[in-house]
Amino acid sequence: MPDESVQIEIRKLLNSELQLDVSLQLMPDCSILFGRSGSGKTTTLRCIAGMARPDAGHVRLNGDILYDSASGTWLPMRQRRIGMIFQDDLLFPHLTARKNISFGMHQWPKRKQKDRLDEMVDLFTLGPLLDRRPANLSGGEKQRVGLARAIAPRPRLLLCDEPISAIDQEGRATLVAHLRRVQQAERIPVLFVTHSTNEAMALGDHVFVLDRGRIVAQGTPLDVFSEPHNLSLARLTRVKNIFTAIVESHSPAEGVTVVRISDGPTFRVPLHDAPIGGSLTFGLRADDILLARHAVSGISAQNILEGRVAKIVRHGAEIEVLIDCGTRFVASIVPAAIDSLGLQAGSSVCMIVKARSCHLLERESRGSQAQ
Amino acid sequence: MILDPLPLVLTIQISLCSTVLVVLLGTPLAWALARKRFWAKHLVDALVMQPMVIPPTVLGYYLLVLLGRDTLLGRFLENSLGLELVFTWRGGVIAAAVASLPLYVKPARSAIEGVDLAFEDVARLLGRSEWSVVRTVTLPLAWRGLVAGAVMAFARAMGDFGTTLMVMGSIGREKTVSIAIYEAWSSNDLARANILVAIVTVFSIAVLWSVSRLTGGKI
Repeated sequence: MPDESVQIEIRKLLNSELQLDVSLQLMPDCSILFGRSGSGKTTTLRCIAGMARPDAGHVRLNGDILYDSASGTWLPMRQRRIGMIFQDDLLFPHLTARKNISFGMHQWPKRKQKDRLDEMVDLFTLGPLLDRRPANLSGGEKQRVGLARAIAPRPRLLLCDEPISAIDQEGRATLVAHLRRVQQAERIPVLFVTHSTNEAMALGDHVFVLDRGRIVAQGTPLDVFSEPHNLSLARLTRVKNIFTAIVESHSPAEGVTVVRISDGPTFRVPLHDAPIGGSLTFGLRADDILLARHAVSGISAQNILEGRVAKIVRHGAEIEVLIDCGTRFVASIVPAAIDSLGLQAGSSVCMIVKARSCHLLERESRGSQAQ
Repeated sequence: MILDPLPLVLTIQISLCSTVLVVLLGTPLAWALARKRFWAKHLVDALVMQPMVIPPTVLGYYLLVLLGRDTLLGRFLENSLGLELVFTWRGGVIAAAVASLPLYVKPARSAIEGVDLAFEDVARLLGRSEWSVVRTVTLPLAWRGLVAGAVMAFARAMGDFGTTLMVMGSIGREKTVSIAIYEAWSSNDLARANILVAIVTVFSIAVLWSVSRLTGGKI
């Protein structure tokens, strides 16, 4: 059976303060390289593709060595058989969509080229676009042509460098669907770079979280994003409420630990073995806070806190409510909830939080892995 | 007065041949200057640009010395290839080509530099060799600059006087328009000089106008 794995180990000095040091193992599915800008995601892709040379490490693809610093192996880009799509589509502006797609098949027999082109047209519904030049295509159409161009010559690995961020909402959904289809039809490993948790959740089978040049966490998207285990990951995945609290008591029978947020309310969080008087850091997603106008009873949630609305911030269809309960919390709700609760700045409000929604965060040393 | 058409025909013939020569030599040169790093890069750049600054007669003198029968190169060209350059129209082609080379290389180089390197990387990732990348991506994307440069080089070749006069001389009817104008004026044949001047002026304006239209005034 052929070796179908991709092993990547790259070390490269990005600038005087930042050293890229990543090690990835990819399967024939979709892996996400997640991180904010400047974390080294694009450089990692460029090193794999051969556009940039790492300082040390190796890149192995299906048993072939593309790069190995120990033996001095360096395969030129044209021999790597890697497909890539980019944030700026980078379609050749002087060629039609058809010629763009066929560009990488120049050494194939004409007949085979045509069959493969037809396959791409079906897979990405490109029929009416074939004779247009990139200037006459929409953002989403360009990305589909770009994807077809990358896939057509049957690459052994597909790299995607934030291809979705530059296109509109509708185009995004289509491209995600097409990427999924590519995955199923071609069965090649895909490495997809993004800073969006939504894209990572929609596409990823496996997520690598890159922070300041290092992989700080990896696992399934659900594991990594729903329960961030450490502080930097929580910040990366936009956990809005992060608190440091002092342990007041443990109640093993109830399965909770009671903590007090400095100068603020007490909170019941999942049982932990930290000593009483010791400090804990926990994260709470803005989505996991329930709001009510009046105190409620007879529900399972362990934390019911009264407070006041300090501020309401609108981001399109999403609304963030800042609540003051002695300390500030951020809750995220839909506009309908604002209307039905009649919330405005100054309103009294009740905040309901399950103990299990409070994720205890390790105050990790940099580079530790939470799996 | 009957206008001898030979200088006009000869001028166009010399200019066309010289432009072909300039494009063939100048394109790799412009590409190397735009894309490659080599130790003598600045020296090569300075040498290519010389015809823009040194007097044409000095340039002509150099060519005369280099290509004449007294040098190894001149003897080789004449004895082995049967190529007699000095005081022939072919010498005029060499003179015009050297004089107009910088007018092609300069815009061609900046047009090639203007092609996004990322496009070339995409082509390489799609399995193309370096030569294929240049042929299918770099040059087609730089075409405006290349065409504009070629037209300028053609116009410069048409108007060259000093260098051509030194290398090609003026023997009988075999002369370029510029030289014919000078001679008409020296022999007080002003009617003839006026007609030739008018033809050259209209042609030069037409050439620059077409370049400006082609490039949208960007070069």
